[in-house]
Amino acid sequence: MGQELSRNERIKEASDYLRGTLADGLRQEITGAISEDDAQLVKFHGMYLQDDRDLRPERTRKKMEKAFAFMIRVRVPGGVLTGAQWLALDRVARDYGNGTLRLTTRQSVQLHGVIKSNLQPTLRAIDAVLLDTIAACGDVNRNVMCNPNPHASRAHAAALDLARAISGHLTPRTPAYREIWLDGERIAGGEADVVEPIYGKTYLPRKFKIAIAVPPSNDVDVFAHDLGFVAILDARGDVQGWNVSVGGGMGMSHGEPETYPRTADIMGFCTGADVLPIAEAVVTVQRDWGDRGNRKHARLKYTIEDRGLDAFRAEVERRAAVKLGAARPFSFTSTGDRYGWTEGADGRAHLTLFIASGRVGDAGPGAQQLSALRRMAELHDGDLRITANQNLIVARVPPQRRAEIEEIAASGALFAPRSGLRRNSMACVALPTCGLALAESERYLPDLLDALDARLAAHGLSTDDIVIRITGCPNGCARPYLAEIGLVGKGPNRYNLYLGAAFDGSRLSKLYAEDIDHPAIIARLDPLFAAYAREREADEHFGDFVIRAGFVEPTKNGRDFHANVGPRRSA
Amino acid sequence: MAAALATIPKTAPFHEDEIDLLNRVVGPASPIQRAWLAGFLTGTTPLSQPPQAANAARPAEPLSIVFASESGNSERLAGDLARAARKAGMKPSLIDMADLDLAALPASRRLIVIAATWGEGEPPSRAARAYADLMSEHAPRLEGVEFAVLALGDTAYAEFCAVGKAIDARLAALGGKRVRDRLDCDLDFAKPAALWIDQALETLAPPQADRGRVIEVDFAAKPAPAPEIVEAEIIEHIDLNSTRSEKETIHLALAFDGAAPAYQPGDSLDLYPENDPADVDELLAAAGLAGDDALRAELINSRDMTTLSSKTFDSYAAATGHKDVEALIAGGEGRAWVAGRQLIDLIRAFPTALSAEQLRALTRPLAPRAYSIASSRREVGEEAHLLISAVRYASHGRARKGVASNFVAERRKRGDRVRVKLRPNRHFALPAPDRDIIMVGPGTGVAPFRAFVQERRAIGAGGRSWLFFGDRQFTHDFLYQLEWQEALQDGALARMDVAFSRDRPEKIYVQHRMWDARRDLVDWIENGAYFYVCGDAKTMAKDVRATLVRAFADVKTLSAAEAEGAVSALERERRYLQDTY
Ligand code: SRM
Ligand SMILES: Cc1cc2nc3c(=O)[nH]c(=O)nc-3n(C[C@H](O)[C@H](O)[C@H](O)COP(=O)(O)OP(=O)(O)OC[C@H]3O[C@@H](n4cnc5c(N)ncnc54)[C@H](O)[C@@H]3O)c2cc1C
Ligand SMILES: Cc1cc2nc3c(=O)[nH]c(=O)nc-3n(C[C@H](O)[C@H](O)[C@H](O)COP(=O)(O)O)c2cc1C
Ligand code: SF4
Repeated sequence: MGQELSRNERIKEASDYLRGTLADGLRQEITGAISEDDAQLVKFHGMYLQDDRDLRPERTRKKMEKAFAFMIRVRVPGGVLTGAQWLALDRVARDYGNGTLRLTTRQSVQLHGVIKSNLQPTLRAIDAVLLDTIAACGDVNRNVMCNPNPHASRAHAAALDLARAISGHLTPRTPAYREIWLDGERIAGGEADVVEPIYGKTYLPRKFKIAIAVPPSNDVDVFAHDLGFVAILDARGDVQGWNVSVGGGMGMSHGEPETYPRTADIMGFCTGADVLPIAEAVVTVQRDWGDRGNRKHARLKYTIEDRGLDAFRAEVERRAAVKLGAARPFSFTSTGDRYGWTEGADGRAHLTLFIASGRVGDAGPGAQQLSALRRMAELHDGDLRITANQNLIVARVPPQRRAEIEEIAASGALFAPRSGLRRNSMACVALPTCGLALAESERYLPDLLDALDARLAAHGLSTDDIVIRITGCPNGCARPYLAEIGLVGKGPNRYNLYLGAAFDGSRLSKLYAEDIDHPAIIARLDPLFAAYAREREADEHFGDFVIRAGFVEPTKNGRDFHANVGPRRSA
Repeated sequence: MAAALATIPKTAPFHEDEIDLLNRVVGPASPIQRAWLAGFLTGTTPLSQPPQAANAARPAEPLSIVFASESGNSERLAGDLARAARKAGMKPSLIDMADLDLAALPASRRLIVIAATWGEGEPPSRAARAYADLMSEHAPRLEGVEFAVLALGDTAYAEFCAVGKAIDARLAALGGKRVRDRLDCDLDFAKPAALWIDQALETLAPPQADRGRVIEVDFAAKPAPAPEIVEAEIIEHIDLNSTRSEKETIHLALAFDGAAPAYQPGDSLDLYPENDPADVDELLAAAGLAGDDALRAELINSRDMTTLSSKTFDSYAAATGHKDVEALIAGGEGRAWVAGRQLIDLIRAFPTALSAEQLRALTRPLAPRAYSIASSRREVGEEAHLLISAVRYASHGRARKGVASNFVAERRKRGDRVRVKLRPNRHFALPAPDRDIIMVGPGTGVAPFRAFVQERRAIGAGGRSWLFFGDRQFTHDFLYQLEWQEALQDGALARMDVAFSRDRPEKIYVQHRMWDARRDLVDWIENGAYFYVCGDAKTMAKDVRATLVRAFADVKTLSAAEAEGAVSALERERRYLQDTY
């Protein structure tokens, strides 16, 4: 791209493989912050400098700087944690964090409110249970997602192995992380011995995300990712190989139509052996072709729009020395989780718990979720799996443990609610920690659901599965543009309402109403619920209905996301 | 007799030329002039203003006045006593117990000790060393020494006037002759102390008879004008703790009608509080005196109606003849019962209707509270800033609120007025500008150091300033954080180390940060740095001192005793200075 490089490119270049002046910044104990450039670099180490936005108004008057603290994101390929790892995270959350663990839409765990002087102890505690936070954020490959439901064991085991292999292969090699956070000193040798064989000195133009789906579940929202692998199963349920999808993404900016969410294209089929070379090739092509001048145009989805899928595929095949086969047929049924018990092949069972917005805390009597899960992790010898819907699976429970696990789950109010809307809801973090939030999200969701549930009940739709997702800004962290009802923050207490996405995550939604507040949201949706209850066809999902019934235009792909917006039929 | 003085003998401890000079003056001097010179030369206290001749001739009997003082009350009284003694024709020498040379004590034929009690029955920090010596078996015998002791204290403390009492007993035990009974003063000591001083002097002053010809020279004719109570307007009233903090620490900016009291960095202001009307009403109700508006007003404005001392406990028994109270006293349990309790508890636990007079008698005058001044006039002009932490706690199942701190925190706001009085503290002042200073001030202890830093910035002091600060949480309790960041920027602070005790499982306090930095600490001090400690006396100040001793031992590889010696040497040089409470 002819343009000059973006600021972040110069920071990466000068950072000496992500060191910057972080070590020095940690020693400045009079401020809870770090330098602006280091704040960009620290993301590559899995941390974000934030401040408690609820406290902003009072700080200067009280002669204190902003209430700075860090968000720490752990890298958990496939979302699978051992009990010991969970317990370690539970402890650091209480010792150094804000007393909560935040399960994310990418199957990882975030800590919030860790002040600068507690970063090293926290990361050491995480390291002690063989976890790290490298590349959980930053212009690199992020946490690799993978369908965690272990019930169809063999295919899912294969998918998990793949997720871990890819994650390992694409993890940055710089020793800066160990130096700064764990050993606290620079290991002799210096630059020369540092090699980033895949990324190079300036890493990628932008974040990069990979997901692995095992049909019929599309819980990972494979079409939302830069790179996706969809398992193609044979009759016996074993993996024949993988369809490869590229160019998905959610983020956009209000009022900038040249930015838009995009569903990935299926690029072809490959065998398990070719997955790593393909993945590496896709990454390096994006590394070299991606836009390093304009960060709002730097994701792979724009590279593919600009260069065309065929040119991209050809370059990937060349670099990987792999010829992709024709995509194989597969079909998804939903993006949601299967709550409750599921039987495993090996006689062990799995319990999927419901965690509202992924926030695990001790909210008060009857909702001591953090404590309940601690007790579970203490006695459970299987593992804990975070789902792409911010929920948690207690996996591989032996028969004799079931009753106990169930009792604890009940005590912690961890069972899924009846409401079909609630069961299919997600909210991003937003206020008070997210620096980009324009409106509330996680903290608003409960009230929103209460109000909508009341309307749905009135129309006899209480238990119908309807996917609703809300985010505090258009970045799309909860993948709202793939929800049948999507709400995206516009300003304080004001949201854009999107409708018409497919229940299986294959079609984006369309803007239905702009910049509306809570009463208007309810008022706009109520008549649509009424019509849905009246006019829907058998097994017709809400997202498909609003299109068939003519309320909104369908969005065929990213480029027409901003076209033909607004209501098409008066409700 | 005059002739005997005619010339200075060659044996005099002067240089030849000095002896010539002296002879040139003394030789031709008139008897009056010689008498005056004699008086001048026998004087001890330093000149505060030109000597002036009194008319009458008097004898000069030496009188040693030793004071043990922390916040200056005993010291002021000792000064008054010295002046009065001189008037009575005596030759007083005023000795801060911090400088007391015990070996010299037996030589002083007349001795008056004025001693305050601090901590939980401990001596004022400066006096600690001499006090320990006096109590040790190495203390010299004091046969032939006539003495009297004036004790300052606060009946609110279990160990009322413990130090004065102990000194009084010790002097007698060492063979001294008590010529006047000790007086134990409560916070309202002014009148009783003055009276005691007069009487003590009468007993000690020699008879009119044998009077040599020496003119008494009054070296400090006028006492330094005593500070007076002034009104100030609150122009800033800010809780510096975040709304997420359990603490409330008020930054109070005071503006005066006209000039601010002439305060120096290190001085404090006495603040005159009012009681919480709600507490007063509860007390009146409990005593069956609700509706007595005159009494109500008096209690709110001028009586200490919260403190419960064993003294009050006894008078309650006497006044009411309440059987249960008498039983407790008889059983020697009174002291234990009053601990952590207040007057309201007493009246609620042993109800009896009281007369206004009886209730008044159970209270004492409402004493002002001292607050370190947190500003320098060079930076804030005619303002004075205070940093006041709201004292709140529970005891015996009852929520308690400190009178003065909550008077400010809860019942006064911007625009209101308060009454204050300057409380100078020349023992906690800045050194020469080119000297380095180390300041240890956790919590509100940081207040005077804000004044220090402002002052040294304003005068462009060359010396480096190093601050240790600590509190509970970095994010919610970092008092004046933005100002310290500026000071580090502009160099007014060379270094700042912080300790927050509730940010992680293990508690970290200032002394831990001192230990981390012990090499630099010792290095600074050996370079002549002054070391200041302000804030909590109960534990912090002790831990800080102990840590400094350990630091010396570790860095200089000294024995514990040697390290202790190094630190007490600092104290004697007045380079280790405390203002703790
Ligand atoms: C925690 C999480 C949302 C959640 O509720 O779970 C999250 C939270 C944040 N996201 Fe996100 N994103 C999260 C998944 C996503 C997703 C969903 C996904 O990846 O499947 C997306 C949309 C997909 C995509 O990338 O297009 C997403 C798109 C963004 C963007 C927009 C990226 C773009 O290309 O437009 C930003 C802003 C940016 O990168 O400039 C962003 C930035 C952020 C930051 C770090 C805000 C910031 O940059 O300062 C948020 C931190 C909030 C906080 O206080 O914790 N987040 N973010 C998710 C963590 C995932 C993980 O564990 O790695
Ligand atoms: C020289 C000097 C300087 C000072 N500087 C400052 C300053 O800068 N800032 C500042 O905030 N204070 C300062 N103080 C302390 C201040 O003078 C008061 O003592 C303090 O504000 C409490 O006064 P109060 O009237 O609010 O509480 P009071 O009504 O006097 O009650 C205090 C009493 O309550 C009891 N008490 C207190 N806490 C507890 C507890 N946790 N458990 C049981 N009993 C308890 C104790 O008996 C204590 O003596 C200073 C004191 C001195 C002597
Ligand atoms: C922190 C503190 C502790 C005190 N401890 C005692 C004590 O234990 N016993 C006592 O009788 N008086 C105690 N007092 C009261 C002082 O002795 C009293 O204020 C005295 O007037 C101080 O005299 P000074 O200014 O010469 O130090 C204490 C005062 C303070 C501020
Ligand atoms: S969607 Fe926006 S508001 Fe929500 S977490 Fe992501 S960046 Fe923050």
